[in-house]
Amino acid sequence: MGDSQYSFSLTTFSPSGKLVQIEHALTAVGSGQTSLGIKASNGVVIATEKKLPSILVDEASVQKIQTLTPNIGVVYSGMGPDSRVLVRKSRKQAEQYYRLYKEPIPVTQLVRETATVMQEFTQSGGVRPFGVSLLVAGYDDKGPQLYQVDPSGSYFSWKASAMGKNVSNAKSFLEKRYTEEMELDDAVHTAILTLKEGFEGQISGKNIEIGVIGNDRIFKVLSPSEVEDYLQEAE
Amino acid sequence: MSRGSGGGYDRHITIFSPEGRLYQVEYAFKAVKAAGVTSIGVRGKDSVCVVTQKKVPDKLLDQTSVTLLFPITKYLGLLATGITADARTLVQQARNEAAEFRFRYGYEMPVDVLARWIADKSQVYTQHAYMRPLGVVAMILGIDEEKGPQLFKCDPAGHFFGHKATSAGGKEQEAINFLEKKMKNDPEFTYEETVQTAISALQSVLQEDFKASEIEVGVVRKEDQIFKVLSTDEIDEHLTAISERD
Repeated sequence: MGDSQYSFSLTTFSPSGKLVQIEHALTAVGSGQTSLGIKASNGVVIATEKKLPSILVDEASVQKIQTLTPNIGVVYSGMGPDSRVLVRKSRKQAEQYYRLYKEPIPVTQLVRETATVMQEFTQSGGVRPFGVSLLVAGYDDKGPQLYQVDPSGSYFSWKASAMGKNVSNAKSFLEKRYTEEMELDDAVHTAILTLKEGFEGQISGKNIEIGVIGNDRIFKVLSPSEVEDYLQEAE
Repeated sequence: MSRGSGGGYDRHITIFSPEGRLYQVEYAFKAVKAAGVTSIGVRGKDSVCVVTQKKVPDKLLDQTSVTLLFPITKYLGLLATGITADARTLVQQARNEAAEFRFRYGYEMPVDVLARWIADKSQVYTQHAYMRPLGVVAMILGIDEEKGPQLFKCDPAGHFFGHKATSAGGKEQEAINFLEKKMKNDPEFTYEETVQTAISALQSVLQEDFKASEIEVGVVRKEDQIFKVLSTDEIDEHLTAISERD
């Protein structure tokens, strides 16, 4: 990968045994816009702030939450351009799995393959780690699942998680509110309330994005008007 | 090569700094500003217009060869702000990609697909050490079959967004402030209003009145969909209209 001149790894151990490039990548994630996910008993919701640099930006041209397969969606915190690379690779891996096994890829396997890509960029020559953490939400035969993947390539399954700027407040909020019996609608409300906690300015259907997957196993990004409806209920 | 904590190399190649920043990408943005040229793009109801300063540094230069406004296909235009050499290489690759797209898929490359391709290429340069990011901000304009007039801006970091209006270069922030006021209530500009807003934004921000030979203007209109660079006479008409209006 890369030019032969750079066939050495840029991510190397410091004397104290840390991989500092990965730590810096996590710092980059920590300064990204807040995103979160909640696993309900009958589905998963992921949500993110969508703060654009100017009112001149056409917000309809920007979609942060992406579909990887019809039953798996993903949101990121950190560097947008890096997330596009991962989304593209993951989609391709899902298709290749389907071509080989004629079955939709299970959520854990797609997460593992994506995490492998991220790990490769911490070890290969001439490249830097990805500056994003991903929240992957899916529904397959094992039920609703939520995974977080970090720049190091490590991944964990979560009942609820948050990433980005407001992570500590968001996580405490989620810890208080989360219940195992929560249903998808409650989860969406909780997600909105969590985002509202750290939100600077007026929250609206245009500056947040919400993606849900329920028993129907179809991942869907809510339209701004659907988000507005949920926001009004949460008032 | 010491690499433990960046070892000073976080400023030379695109690896993370301790604060999680990519200095090389930030320096690329500075290079765009340092070029000393400001560009503006405005999207109207059925047209898109981009304007940039035409700085000819030497009287002996052939003015017609000094340009930052490039047709990529008959229907797509690209305005580059920043390092001219980087711009030309980007344009060359974009033209190739658009032509291959047309050949491979049998229809013209849409605006957002080209913008995404440029942005993805820029992202690769921010992640691989062997190539530096390009010191160019590209504005792509065209008419999309379904969405109508489109204006996209791609930067060295690999970001790309659709814009109602935008700016790049030395006086980018001032221009954006000016445009935000003009576009606040989502106006739907006609073709003439679009062009005049773009030109007068540039005049206001640089605080000088231009001659037609000192700016370049590119437009694309819904009625014919073709990307056109305006001639000096056409630019003169718009300049006169602006000064009469004021």
